[in-house]
Formats: sequence, structure tokens, C-alpha cells
Amino acid sequence: MFLTRSEYDRGVNTFSPEGRLFQVEYAIEAIKLGSTTVGIATPQGVVLGVEKRVQSPLLEASSIEKIVEIDRHLGCAMSGLTADARTMIDHARVTSQNHAFTYDEQIKVESVTQAVCDLALRFGESMDNEDAMMSRPFGVALLVAGIDELGPQLFHTDPSGTMMKYEAKAIGSGSEAAQAELQDKYHKQMSLLEAYKLTLSVLKQVMEEKLDQHNVQLAQVTLDGGFEILNETKLREVIDAM
Amino acid sequence: MSMHSFVARFSSSAADPLSLSLQSRNATQADDEDAGIPIELWGSQAGFGSLASQGGHSFAVPKVPNPAEFLRMHTDEHEGKIKIQHGTTCLAFRFKGGVIVAVDSRASAGSYIASGTVKKVLEINKYLLGTMAGGGADCQYWETYLGIQCRLHELRNGERMSVAAASKYLANLVYGYKGMGLSMATMICGWDKSGPAVYYVDSDGTRMKGDVFSVGSGSTFAYGVLDQGYKWDLSDEEAQELGRRSIYAAGHRDAYTGNTVNLYHVRENGWEFINNYDISKLHYEGPGGITSEGYGYSVRTAEQTSRSAENDAMQEVEGDLV
Amino acid sequence: MAQQRSFNPYTENGGTILAIAGADFAVVAGDTRQTEGYSIQTRYAPKVFRLTDKAVLAVNGFAADGNMFVKKVKQRLEWYKHAHSKDMPLQSIARLIQTMLYAKRFFPYYVYNILGGIDEQGKGAVYSFDPVGSYERETCRAAGAAQSLVQPFLDNQIYFKNQTGEHPTHLPLPHVLQLVTDSFTGATERHIEVGDGLEMFVILARGRGSQELEGVAGIREVTTSDERERVFVINRDLKRD
Repeated sequence: MFLTRSEYDRGVNTFSPEGRLFQVEYAIEAIKLGSTTVGIATPQGVVLGVEKRVQSPLLEASSIEKIVEIDRHLGCAMSGLTADARTMIDHARVTSQNHAFTYDEQIKVESVTQAVCDLALRFGESMDNEDAMMSRPFGVALLVAGIDELGPQLFHTDPSGTMMKYEAKAIGSGSEAAQAELQDKYHKQMSLLEAYKLTLSVLKQVMEEKLDQHNVQLAQVTLDGGFEILNETKLREVIDAM
Repeated sequence: MSMHSFVARFSSSAADPLSLSLQSRNATQADDEDAGIPIELWGSQAGFGSLASQGGHSFAVPKVPNPAEFLRMHTDEHEGKIKIQHGTTCLAFRFKGGVIVAVDSRASAGSYIASGTVKKVLEINKYLLGTMAGGGADCQYWETYLGIQCRLHELRNGERMSVAAASKYLANLVYGYKGMGLSMATMICGWDKSGPAVYYVDSDGTRMKGDVFSVGSGSTFAYGVLDQGYKWDLSDEEAQELGRRSIYAAGHRDAYTGNTVNLYHVRENGWEFINNYDISKLHYEGPGGITSEGYGYSVRTAEQTSRSAENDAMQEVEGDLV
Repeated sequence: MAQQRSFNPYTENGGTILAIAGADFAVVAGDTRQTEGYSIQTRYAPKVFRLTDKAVLAVNGFAADGNMFVKKVKQRLEWYKHAHSKDMPLQSIARLIQTMLYAKRFFPYYVYNILGGIDEQGKGAVYSFDPVGSYERETCRAAGAAQSLVQPFLDNQIYFKNQTGEHPTHLPLPHVLQLVTDSFTGATERHIEVGDGLEMFVILARGRGSQELEGVAGIREVTTSDERERVFVINRDLKRD
């Protein structure tokens, strides 16, 4: 796709003659280097799964944070340059709390995702009295999972600031194969456990190492329990059930 | 003017965007605002609430030389007309079983009883309670704000905010508005890693850790009962009775305190709402359960021989109601 | 002695408002007289406004601040609807009003607000506010010039205070409307700033029948959408002296 590089791909806010923003497209490419991340929405709740990608046996696997809580009814998983996600996550958390403060209610999943996407365009050069902007687009994609009055929902955000609602989505290095598998096996009436099993089987396929409770992480958002990252015991149970 | 610049110079915490927003407002008000709506509320941020923009509060301030004086002149501190609701007697004490928080429920606007059902215990989150005394709006607003900041702290740091930190946050926040006319005296109560804790925080900037506090116009009456009955080793029931009885005493003697008592108990895993008690009922009948004798002394002195039958009849007519 | 002249940004325009929450309805009412000192500025200045099909806001105190405040609330409701594709629930409107009032903590809106309507569970609800945003949910509340005449009457008739014996937990709609009318006729008799006209808004929960309102003189419906909550307005005259 990018075999022919032109003079238009260096400037962060320069359109090419064909109307493309190469830097944004390259940022989307960066996601494909990231660890595989899967999200599946079911009537009972939304499931998120990540490949932790522990680079070294000396690395403390428990310190890898790729699934985070945004609020009690919202969580998200990331893939790509995960450090870029920190400001996005914090913005999502602050937006969610501000909404609760002003309106005494939980923010909608779509609204918080939209707020995060609104950050994506704040790159470029800042003029004198403007707020400082980022120097480059974000290099991370998020899968935002949550429950609101419309039920369980899963949204995908990318560096261009686009948000899309998905029933099931995989991002990261194994995403092409993973997405094909999801399309094949997903059905609307999945139970939470079935969704977990599908997530793990998809991750297993694309991971190089053997899947165990130390190199993957699973989380769910349900109406009763809210957002929850599965602890070691529960994780082992689900892996054994596979 | 001098007080305002003092505030601006000497309080530059992140929680005080006031100094920034006041300056920018006075300077650029004409061009940035459109019918009083801050520029950030246009566009995609519009539906996302008052705090969404710039992550801070911005308060409209009248363009007069001395805004604090203006506010004082027009609200009910002296004779001004805008009557803000004031709260009145609250207490909190810590003991071996946690923290007891007891408050009354009367709100007065001048000498009118605006409400007898005010909730003066603010549930900041599942394990932190705050009490309301002073300006109701100041307490409600800032303690709700404290609640969301505690939640953000939890999300960012993976653990609950301590009572010390929460109370410090609130104290620093209101210090940024010192001199502007906020009226808030609150007790932040909770149980964290260091055990049960009570901090008194007010809008002058005071913050004190302590075992026993009572706040408000009826606090002196409440202290009378509280100080006499307080021990660290109280049982849960004794502690609850002490809290309830102290507020009753304040409700009985202070005109600005009354209506009902709201009683809470903070334990290790969070707070529990015990019950709401009508003060009149407490006077004649007591709280029910273990102590089913009325709190009012007339109930206890009814049989005394030095009282004549005529006196008794007169007492009944006049009554010593709350 | 030199006279101090300065601009006072506030004035009082009189009038009284009240709201009562029923089991599956709410009534919000206000007189329509606007005064300044001993003059009547107008005999018809509405103080009660429909925000949505489930929320009605009554404002009293300084009319200019009240009217402007209602405009700003309506604007925020519209922006919310565009941002979140839904109507703002009543408790959110209440919280929003607190934040809007508190934003002017140092230059307050001289307005006493009462918000009435139907909550998310389909029950009647009333929220009352002080000028800087302190608020509470209640069953009934009166505010304004004659509040000290009307509120005790409501305490006795709605909360059955100082009455012994059995009393119903929920009052029927026609009875509540009668109480409202009586409150205002009484207030008109004994307070100079109350009179001229009465405007009552009735909000009915979704699915609640409106048979009790049939035959009420001068009633008109102002609901804007189908199959939801319904809002009606009833106008009455009050003494003009």
C-alpha cells in the first residue's frame, strides 16, 4: 500500500493531492504492530481479551496494563503504542465523572467514546495563545466496552478519530485472522462464557507462545457486576473450560 | 480587591482555577462570551456538562471593585435579600466500632423554616461521609465534586483515597476561594487503612483531625451530651444512642435545629444508614428498641412530689415541645 | 451626609409558585402577577414553563433572572439532546440546575426554582432549589412572596401534619388541583403581591389515564410527542385587587 512514498507524507497536517492524510494512515498502520486485542458483545455483557506479549521471562507480567477501567460501567482495551492511550483513558475517566457530576447519571458508552475520539484531531502546531497540541496523531486503537440503557455495546476507535460500533472486533497484529474467525463463529445470542471461549480460541491462534493465565488478560462488563478484570482464579477456570 | 489578589497570589493549587478564570474573565469577557455562555460550551463539548471544558470550574463574578463585598451585601449575611439556606447541627465521633455521624434536618432561611427534611449527611462515596453545616449549596456542590475526585483517584491509583487525603483535597479547594464568601463547615468521616477517621474542614481553611466534633448553631448543646457520654470503648448501640441523644439535645434547645435526626454508622467496609428519628417523637417516646423512654425530662419528672397538680396542668398546656 | 448611589442589579417581582408530586403525576403552579414595590407591572407574566414532556420548571424572585435562567436551561437541554440522543431525565435536570446556579455562586441568580415532573420510575417528583443551587427532592413545596402562608397549609393537607387519624398515602389528582386552587385563592386574599391569574401545569406519567381531567374548564394539552408523558395547562382567574 505504501510502496510509493511521496513528498506529502511527512507533514502531519498536509493532505496529499489524492486527498489522503498519510501520517494518520501511517498511525493506523502502527496499530498492526501492536498485541492482539479482542472484544465481543453479548446480550449478557461485553468481553475483552488481550495478548499481554511478555517480552522477557524477567518481566513482571502482572504489571502489564492493557485493559483498564474507565468507570463502573465502562472499560477499554488498547493495542498499538499503548503509552499514547494514557491521556485518552484519563480523558475518558474525567469526562465520565464530569458527566456524573453535572447530570447525576452514568454517561452513555457512545458519548464517552465520542469524547475520546474528539481528542484525535488535536495534533499539529499550536499558535501563541492556543492550547498546546500533540505533535503527532495517537498511535493506539481502543476497544471501548460498556453497558448503558441501550444494553451492552462495543466501540472501536482509531487514530483518525473515527468510532465504529461492533458486535465483535479484533485489533492488533493478529487482527486479520482473528476478525475472520470472529465473523465465522460469532452469533448474537452468545453467552458470556461462550464469548470468553471464543476470545481465548482466537487469541490462541494468533499468539506465538502457548496461552496460559500469565500471558493473556480477560475482562467483562455486565449490568450487575460492572467492569471487572478476571482475577487469576477465574481466568484459570475459563482457560481450563476451553 | 486586595483580598482577591491575595488569594490569587498565594493559592496556586491545581484545584484553584479561580485565580486564572477570574483574571481571564475580567480581561476578555467582552470578546469571549456570548450571552454568558463560555466559549468551550459551543460545539461538540456542549452536551458534556459544566466541567468538561478546560477541566476546571469557572465562576461568574460581578465586575465591581470588590466582589466579596457585593456578595455579602446582597445575600442574607446582613440584610440583603437573597436568602441562602443554612444548615445547623451536626456531629461525628470515632470509637472502636467506627464512626458515628448524626445530624438534624432543619434548614432555615432567615427565621423561616425552609425545610424540615434536609439531608445533611452527604454520601460522598460508599466509604466516605461528609456533613453539611453553613451554606447548603456550598456543602452539596463541593462534596459532590470531592466524590468524583475521589473516584478519579481510585481509578488512577488503583486504591481508595484515604480520609486524610480526601479532607486535604477539600480543604485546599475551599482555601482557593477564601475571602469570597463561601460558608461551609463539614466533617469528612470514613474508615481507611489507618482505621476510622474524622476530619473537620471549613471554608476559612481550617482542617483538623479529631475524635469528637460537633458543628453548627446547636453544637454547644450537642457537646454537652457528647462530651459527658463519650468513651472509645462504646458498643455500637451505645455509640448510636449517644449520637442520637446529642442531636436531640441540640434540637430541643436551639431554635435553628430540629425536625428530625439522621443517624449513620461508618464501619470498615463502608457506611450504613441507621435511621431517621422525629425529634418530637424522641422527646415523648424515645427511639424505640432498647431505650423506649422519652428523652424529654418532663417525661421523667412527672411523678415528683414537689410539683402540684395545678403546675402539672399548666405544664401540659404550655408543653415543652421542641 | 453624602448619599450613596449605586446600581442594584436585583429587584423583587413578587408572586408565588408551588409544586406537588403525586403517585403518577405532578402539579406545578404559579400566579401570574408581576409587581415591583407597590406597582403591578403586569397581570400576566408566566412563571411556570414546560421544559420537556416530563419536566416543568417554576421560577420566582427576580423575574429577569428567572426568565433568563429558564432560557439557559432550555438551551442546555437542547445541547444534551444533540450530544446524547435522548431527553434529559428529571434527576439530571435537577442536578444540572444545581451546577448552573452554583456557577453564579458569587453573583447569584436571584431565583427560587421548583422543578416538577415524572422521574425515571414513572413517579411524580418535585425538586426545590435555593438561589445558589442547594437542592432536595420533596413531595411538595411552595416558594415566593406568600410561601409562609401556603407552605403550612400544604404541610397540613399533604403531609397531614398536626392531624391525627388515618390518612391516605396518595392523594387523587382532582383533590390536589383543588388544594392548589385553594392555596392561591387564600394567598391572594392575604398577600398584596399575589393575584390576577393562576396557571397550573399537570404532568401525567406514561400510560396514566387523563379521565380525571375531562371536563376541567379551560384545560389545554401542550404535550409535544405521542405515547409518552403528557402535559396539560389550566388557567384560572384570581382577584385583581
